[in-house]
Amino acid sequence: MAYTPQYYPGASHVAVNRRKHMSGDVEKLRTVSDDDLVAALGHRAPGADYPSTHPPLAEMGEPDCPVRQMVEPTPGAAAGDRVRYSQFTDSMYSAPSIPYFRSYYAAINFRGVDPGTLSGRQIVEARERDMEAQCKAAIESEMTCPALAGLRGCTVHGHSLRLAEDGMMFDMLERTHLEGGNVIEDKDQVGVPIDRKVNLGKPMSDAEAKKRTTIYRTDGVKYRSEEEVLDHVHLVHHRRTMYGYRPETAAETAPGVGPVTYHTV
Amino acid sequence: MAYKYPSEKLFVEALKAKFAGIDLADQTTKYVRAGYVQNARKREFQAAGERVAEQRGIQQYDVNVHLGGMTLGQRQLVPYKLSTRPDIVEGDDLHYVNNPAMQQMWDDMKRTIIVGMDLAHETLEKRLGKEVTPESIAGYMEAVNHTMPGAAIVQEHMVETHPGLVDDCYVKMFTGDDELADEIDSQYVININDLFDKEGQNEKIKAAIGKTTWQAIHIPTIVVRCCDGGNTSRWSAMQLGMSYIAAYNMCAGEAAVADLAFAAKHAAAVQMAEMLPARRARSPNEPGGLSFGYCADMVQTMRVKPEDPVWYTLEVVACGTMLYDQIWLGSYMSGGVGFTQYATAAYTNDVLDDFTYYGYDYALNKYGDDGTAPNDLATATDLATEVTLNGMECYEDYPTLLEDHFGGSQRAGILAAASACTTGIATGNAQVALSAWYMSMYVHKEGWGRLGFFGYDLQDQCGATNVCSYQGDEGCCLELRGANYPNYAMNVGHQGEYAGFTGAAHAGAHDAYCCNPLIKVCFADPSLVFDFSYIRKEYAKGAMRTFRPAGERSLVIPAGV
Repeated sequence: MAYTPQYYPGASHVAVNRRKHMSGDVEKLRTVSDDDLVAALGHRAPGADYPSTHPPLAEMGEPDCPVRQMVEPTPGAAAGDRVRYSQFTDSMYSAPSIPYFRSYYAAINFRGVDPGTLSGRQIVEARERDMEAQCKAAIESEMTCPALAGLRGCTVHGHSLRLAEDGMMFDMLERTHLEGGNVIEDKDQVGVPIDRKVNLGKPMSDAEAKKRTTIYRTDGVKYRSEEEVLDHVHLVHHRRTMYGYRPETAAETAPGVGPVTYHTV
Repeated sequence: MAYKYPSEKLFVEALKAKFAGIDLADQTTKYVRAGYVQNARKREFQAAGERVAEQRGIQQYDVNVHLGGMTLGQRQLVPYKLSTRPDIVEGDDLHYVNNPAMQQMWDDMKRTIIVGMDLAHETLEKRLGKEVTPESIAGYMEAVNHTMPGAAIVQEHMVETHPGLVDDCYVKMFTGDDELADEIDSQYVININDLFDKEGQNEKIKAAIGKTTWQAIHIPTIVVRCCDGGNTSRWSAMQLGMSYIAAYNMCAGEAAVADLAFAAKHAAAVQMAEMLPARRARSPNEPGGLSFGYCADMVQTMRVKPEDPVWYTLEVVACGTMLYDQIWLGSYMSGGVGFTQYATAAYTNDVLDDFTYYGYDYALNKYGDDGTAPNDLATATDLATEVTLNGMECYEDYPTLLEDHFGGSQRAGILAAASACTTGIATGNAQVALSAWYMSMYVHKEGWGRLGFFGYDLQDQCGATNVCSYQGDEGCCLELRGANYPNYAMNVGHQGEYAGFTGAAHAGAHDAYCCNPLIKVCFADPSLVFDFSYIRKEYAKGAMRTFRPAGERSLVIPAGV
């Protein structure tokens, strides 16, 4: 399925990165094997069959339904997979991704996903094999620095905490640690030890994280300086307010709001 | 720029106390993972849990159960400074279960009802031909203060409540009629002239109340701890009726008593909180029905410090966040153990204070005096954007501050509250302040790509649409919105702030009250157990274990228990 590039205002590299995340135009930086990913997710044993909640759709004798005819099932739905999750925590210290843009990335570029966005974590629920495909793409890409982001199903506390002395985001459950310059994951998403060391690769340097990040910060691209994004926000506020009050005026330019250009990748 | 208030970083002192000896701006730290033993209160809890288990033979609190032995305290367990106060307390001491001052604040609201006297007096005069004079009113006040705590006044062989258990129960009256007020024994009168003596507030209050006469009734704390808030009007009405019968020598069973009862229970009664829809299964005088305007009026700092509208505003926030977040949503609605961390962010460590004073300075310099900024979206946009950007930059420049408000919901509430409180004071208009709230949420979300919990995708993204709309079930003036307003019903981290900037608008306009002058006067009464002028000071006393609440049972239980 082809997706068109997404639009977003702003000229800084943070805005550029946001457009890339939304459009799925992200660089692959590392490889995590399927078994390693399955172990880290912790939903089933590596190599085990996917547990299912219903027979394959092809065997179910589904009713004649125009919606079913129009919508091609995802592989996980077709196979009857159960719905499982992956959940990321991204540090506010210039981690490459941020929760809303993880959600946009998932919702725009993958089918059958149910993203949920909070401040300290971002979850994607989907049929198990569909979720794994989405998670694998995210964790292998420039969206994820293994030191500044992590798979955390529970006890996610850490996104806003100071980094540890070795540059790792705080994790109460210590699911990951630095070993020989690489980030090693030896517990699954909910902190249960796994029987392998999953190598997530080297942490990004501070400069690389700042280059790839999507967060505005005073020690990086200052939000205050990104006037076009702020004007975009002001326009959204104006329109949402006026649509509830005098809808016929909502499309008018908001007083004091500058022109907003929506760029694409 | 010339600032009315110094905009130094007020939160730095608190951060220094919390993160002693470290560079507040350092983005890294050493995590020593000291566990629960680093914290005195957790150690106390562990010891207490062991004692409880030994005494009752059933397992109780054991810190080692947490994550199978990985105890709380893998990061630094930092204490909290009550904003504006020197007091440093443990977070646990701000859980309402551990804090008797917090409990008493809610008890004092729940056990209060205001009942007009004029309807009863008309019944007495016109129907029964009784003469109502200042002397007869004083006699009635004596009677009602005897019987309201639960004493007999007409019947024989009655059981009564122990006066020592109900010593917080009393009735006072107030009126806009100076002449009448002067003629009543002062022990029974809430003195509007003295209590509202700044900025001519007393004249504004009296003009609003007029010649009408009201009773501020506070039934015993111990009663509302046994019964729901709906009992307040019933308990009150029963004793009012008996007191009228006694004071005016009425027949106990004559039909006119029904008129008095109807007035006391309905026609002349002002509940502190409205009854909720049946699906909520809550009576009147329960937190979900407390409007933001009433909540703002209960807090009295506008009366004692009208020259500092920010201070008053943030006392309202402290009141509202504790009640709405910790008690209402945190326990009543969710069934949980209290959303304490949401609320404490708003009234500890001088963070919201700093952000709001910053905005106040900005507004003063740009728009002039309180309440004079234009009431339009441009003002909301300007103030909310500046205040939110400033706050975000503070979180970025002080990693310890970001760590202190470790949840996005905390930060969102603080940034939006500072924006809205600033705007309310600047414009004198709560609706423009509400618009600033939503603007702040948008600015925050777009800058950091995160906001609060899932619910922020609902209320804080669609709420702007209802700021100006006053269509039924869509919009309403903020003073009359409340905890059960559509989209606000599970709005943790918001409702106390809404009450705060409701108050901000009226503090900015230098009004004498926000929504209802009767509420304002009732809670100005210095005889109340909880001091509604200094909410955070009272919370600190509760946390320091120096607050003495009402409704204790020590008189009737074995000593040492």
